[in-house]
Amino acid sequence: MSSNTSRREFLSTGLSAGLAIPVLGAASAMGQQTSGKPDAKAAGSPVKLDYRTLGRTGLKVTTVGMGCMITSDPSVITRAADLGINYFDTARGYQHGNNERMVAAALGARRKNVIISTKSHAGNKEELQQHLETSLRELNTDYIDIWYLHGRNSPDEVPDDQIEVQQKAKHQGKVRFTGVSTHNGQQQLLPWMAHKGVFDVVLTGYNFTMDASMDEAIEAAAKADMGVVAMKVMAGGLHRLKPSDPAYKKLTQEGAMLAALKWVIKKPNIATTIPSITDMDQLDENLKAMSTPLSTGEEKILTAHLDAIRPLYCRMCGQCDGACQKGLPVADVLRFLTYADGYGQFALGRERFLELSAEHKSVRCGDCATCTVMCPHGVQVVSRMARAQELFA
Amino acid sequence: MKIAGLLMAALLAAGMARGQNALDCHLAPGWEASGPVRQFTAENLYDYKDGAADGYLSYGFARMSSLDCKSGADTLTIDVSEMNDADAAYGLFTANRDPKLPITKIGMGGQVQPQSASFAKGKYYVEIVEVAEDPNADHTAVMQAFVGKMQERLEGRESPPEALQWFPQENLESVRLIPESVLGLRLLKRGYVAKYKQGQAFIVLESSPESAAEVLKKLRVHFDGATPAQVGDEAFQTKAQYLEGICVFRKGRFLAGYANLPEAQQAAALAAKLAARIP
Repeated sequence: MSSNTSRREFLSTGLSAGLAIPVLGAASAMGQQTSGKPDAKAAGSPVKLDYRTLGRTGLKVTTVGMGCMITSDPSVITRAADLGINYFDTARGYQHGNNERMVAAALGARRKNVIISTKSHAGNKEELQQHLETSLRELNTDYIDIWYLHGRNSPDEVPDDQIEVQQKAKHQGKVRFTGVSTHNGQQQLLPWMAHKGVFDVVLTGYNFTMDASMDEAIEAAAKADMGVVAMKVMAGGLHRLKPSDPAYKKLTQEGAMLAALKWVIKKPNIATTIPSITDMDQLDENLKAMSTPLSTGEEKILTAHLDAIRPLYCRMCGQCDGACQKGLPVADVLRFLTYADGYGQFALGRERFLELSAEHKSVRCGDCATCTVMCPHGVQVVSRMARAQELFA
Repeated sequence: MKIAGLLMAALLAAGMARGQNALDCHLAPGWEASGPVRQFTAENLYDYKDGAADGYLSYGFARMSSLDCKSGADTLTIDVSEMNDADAAYGLFTANRDPKLPITKIGMGGQVQPQSASFAKGKYYVEIVEVAEDPNADHTAVMQAFVGKMQERLEGRESPPEALQWFPQENLESVRLIPESVLGLRLLKRGYVAKYKQGQAFIVLESSPESAAEVLKKLRVHFDGATPAQVGDEAFQTKAQYLEGICVFRKGRFLAGYANLPEAQQAAALAAKLAARIP
């Protein structure tokens, strides 16, 4: 995806990928996961499942997986497995390990038919090793399919000694594939991971509100044959939306979550998604994302949200380069502001701002009588620049 | 209006201050603060807790104060979360506690381990997590020093939610507050679930007997083929695919019952015992 593609174009041109397969054909579509069949008949009406290959792992994963963190009852996970969902995500840190226990109890004998990913937020290699043993015990399994270093947002947060622990676990057969989960800093982290060449999978926040640079980062990962799993397909984009926001009601209406999920599934570089599934109703709702494509009406819902954030977020199209009469690198400053306002990374935003030249740091946009920068995407440049200067200078 | 707004702001600030009051690295000897107190609300909790923030938010999270402390090469983080009410604080504690360890009398309930501790008191939920140079070091005494003094500084209820006493105690393994969709069913909004050696019991409080009756009616439709049972004011029993033998009854504005038993009749028999304990 080109970085100068507008967000609206981006919404409408996402390529459909993957093949919808009725659930009763699930076992043959699951490649390595053929021992045992999901009990779809007992679970309810047959649903269509859509599979993709998770990068170099070769695993065939359903495009809708299951984030188990806030699942209210084990029966929801059991039914999801019976319906054919084959990717289940948990973490050592979720409810202090109680979540891993629930996943294990819910899957029981179904475990051999599904892919379990868990994560460790360990701060050092000793703790990481300890977390692995605990996860194996709590998940009641001899191996973890995908083991992530949890919530790492820059290469500095992925130390070599922790990578070594991951690789050793892989050689020991305790872990089949390794990866990193990340919420921020993907533009730097994903190309680094791709270059490093030791990671099989990346779990990244990704949703329809993100700018084109995120797609470039994901493409770099996919080109390196890493499997890409998307999380925060909805909440990451909306959790900062306040109830007082004009778009709030529209975006929290029934169907908005499904639209956001479908939008991510349309992206061919995303192998699977892990929306948090609380209950049976939500499970049924999310399964629809695999059987019906993103509709025009659903695109409108998402576009409404983009319109709501349009005055705030820079798309990094570069059309304002050289337009400021004071020579400010407008897109860069707006990006620094996005670090703080959009992703909650105030320190990173300020750090980048302070790297500007002294001359640029001293500029105050409010001092100019008129602004020479016109954003083609409608970003309110003057007020956003003024906010960045107020916040960081 | 303006005065009311100021009063509300003052009350909120006071609430935050009470939580923040308990944050002090000097509560255990040899520990020093290694940074300022950080404040989080529902809007930026993701920045701190990543995906785990959903868990806090689902229980009714209001705000959090967090502080890092240091002693030599060891560090620990204290998080004091202010929840919407005491039941929510206890609920979050039960969700995060280690079910293999007993609950000890710290506030409404707590647990102390060699390098971590948690407890709930009033509407506050406290977590302390240490990252020690030696991951096997036993720092239980440090944890006890922190929780002991912190609970003195926090105000609020010290008894667990009353409904927990209604669950029969025999073979009881653990009790949790489920913030939404009890038994995985959206119709059962928020309630307590008690896990037993075999099966699980639940209690959901509806706003009125009428609304409870309405939910029961919808549940009966959901469980196609259910038959009436003689429990509480009205009830049904059935055998379902994932919840196995189940009996759901209404008593006043409470909806309760048993699930995951081999047969519906067993669920109904246990449900009758539970109904007798609900006032």
